[in-house]
Amino acid sequence: MDDPQPLALSIKGLSWHSGQRAILADISVSLEKGKMLGVIGPNGAGKSTLLRCLYRYLVPTRGDITLLGQDINTFSAKAFAQQVAVVLQDTPHYFDMTTQQLVGLGLTPHKGAFSLTSAQDKRDIANALATVGLTERALQPYEQLSGGEKQRALIARAIVQKPDLLILDEPTNHLDIRYQIQILELLRSLDMTVIISIHDLNLASALCDQLLLLDKGLSVIQGTPAQVLNEQQIGSVFGVCCQVTPHPQHGNPQINYFYGYSGHGMTEHDEVVP
Amino acid sequence: MNTLPVEMMGRAVRVLPLLLLVLLVALMTPLIAASFGAADIQVSQVLQVVIAQLTGQSQGDISSRIIMELRLPRIMMAFVAGFGLAIAGAVLQTVTRNPLADPYLFGISSGASFGAVVVITLLGGVSVDSGAWLSHVSLPVGAFLGASVAVLMVLALCGRSLSTQIERMLLSGVAISFMFGALTSLLLYFSGPQAAASVLFWSLGSFAKASWATLWLPLVVVAVCTLTILLFKRQIIAIKAGDETAHTLGINVQRLRLNILLLCSLITAVLVANCGGIGFVGLMVPHIVRLLLPGRFALLTTGIVGGLFMIWVDVLARCLLSYQELPIGIITAVIGSGFFLFILGGKRGR
Repeated sequence: MDDPQPLALSIKGLSWHSGQRAILADISVSLEKGKMLGVIGPNGAGKSTLLRCLYRYLVPTRGDITLLGQDINTFSAKAFAQQVAVVLQDTPHYFDMTTQQLVGLGLTPHKGAFSLTSAQDKRDIANALATVGLTERALQPYEQLSGGEKQRALIARAIVQKPDLLILDEPTNHLDIRYQIQILELLRSLDMTVIISIHDLNLASALCDQLLLLDKGLSVIQGTPAQVLNEQQIGSVFGVCCQVTPHPQHGNPQINYFYGYSGHGMTEHDEVVP
Repeated sequence: MNTLPVEMMGRAVRVLPLLLLVLLVALMTPLIAASFGAADIQVSQVLQVVIAQLTGQSQGDISSRIIMELRLPRIMMAFVAGFGLAIAGAVLQTVTRNPLADPYLFGISSGASFGAVVVITLLGGVSVDSGAWLSHVSLPVGAFLGASVAVLMVLALCGRSLSTQIERMLLSGVAISFMFGALTSLLLYFSGPQAAASVLFWSLGSFAKASWATLWLPLVVVAVCTLTILLFKRQIIAIKAGDETAHTLGINVQRLRLNILLLCSLITAVLVANCGGIGFVGLMVPHIVRLLLPGRFALLTTGIVGGLFMIWVDVLARCLLSYQELPIGIITAVIGSGFFLFILGGKRGR
């Protein structure tokens, strides 16, 4: 274990209600600087809602979020965007930019009304493209990239934003396994505090420092993969039976699922997705 | 890494001739365009008159008065109108992320027509052709008020959801357009044929009324709004990536979109009030520039191309028929619909 680092992020008693309904209730999280936190849980557990509260798209009903010891509500929109970069899945249909221009969007929070893109900015963009291995794709339309390349381009944009905290909503969605591993290892190499929501528990176990397990808007447990991923907890939250063994390479939990649920009437996990 | 600068230079080499061409055409166009019209005037004559005017030795003969008092203000007005409509169209297409957005999206055109019809049919029946001072003042004012009312109604209909639901905004604009269209038709139905003819001519657009005196207001409004839009260029481009992503880039998307909408409405209302409703330019020119310069947000180029396009459409309007002028809106609509059929055909072929 490294020496204890200062807390990059601290969430205390966070709740978010949609109307009368609590989507998130009393979530508390702390994350050290430079660590990677994986937010896991079934569909509708509140993963995306939690992230949206973190990047101030939603205003929490209750609770405090502090970034590097400072309440996130005290940042201006621009200052906050200089601290926190976010990679989402919502690229619109009508999007006519080259990869390089998309990556250049990361400059937005660092630029005033009159400032032009400097030579240093151009170097930053080129370096970010090189970091994610897309230098050759710089001048191609973003729309023509493959799924994995698109995701890497979005991460390059976030790198140009130079944040302390990088938040990604399901960055491995729709990617084949090679790209899933590649994206997460890329994120680990960035020397930033990273929070991702992720569905693949084995991937989360292998590559996240910390995991936060959510269920129906409640925080079940936060801890290392070994603390979070055990047969009993996976069984009760996800409603599947499994066997957990140490992974032969990294030693973190390796989950083997059991199959054949159709006749057993497992209703525990039947929930309404909002 | 090493290939990038070379490729970027290659890109500049490709783009530069195009920009130079646009600049050259922009310099030549006023001189050539001023030689077209009912009176037979040569390009060299235009050049002489302009040089004489600049050096303070104007002769005051008939052809120099035609050039200085009729044709040049008209050319300037056409340029300002085309510039403003093209910029407004490009920006609206970006902030609404809707490639079919145009400056008349929010009922501005139909609202302006209604305002003008109210002035013509109800307030003393001034006709555009009468040349009375009243028509010069009250008609643009009525059109501007009508356009403003239309925009305010669209905003009121959207209410709080304005920012979050682009679709609602677009649909409100369509509804308001139809409503004002119906009211205009109703008024015209009960008015005389003289009023109907002048309203029709006016609502299809014309630069015939342009003079140095009426030019300054559209010029100032378009210039100030364009500068303001350029200051927010980075933020406007970021909205392309989606509202939520733009939010994470530190942009107040709701406020920015509302301000941009108001700026574009101001441009359009002033232009409609002075030149009538000229369709398709704000829709078509941004698409043409995007085709020529793919993947760039070339606002000024879009504006210049729009202005030049409008000057030449006006030349066509003056020269196609020897005995009378054609309304601008008819020509832009013909070119615009043809252009879109061409684009659609090309898209299907691919």
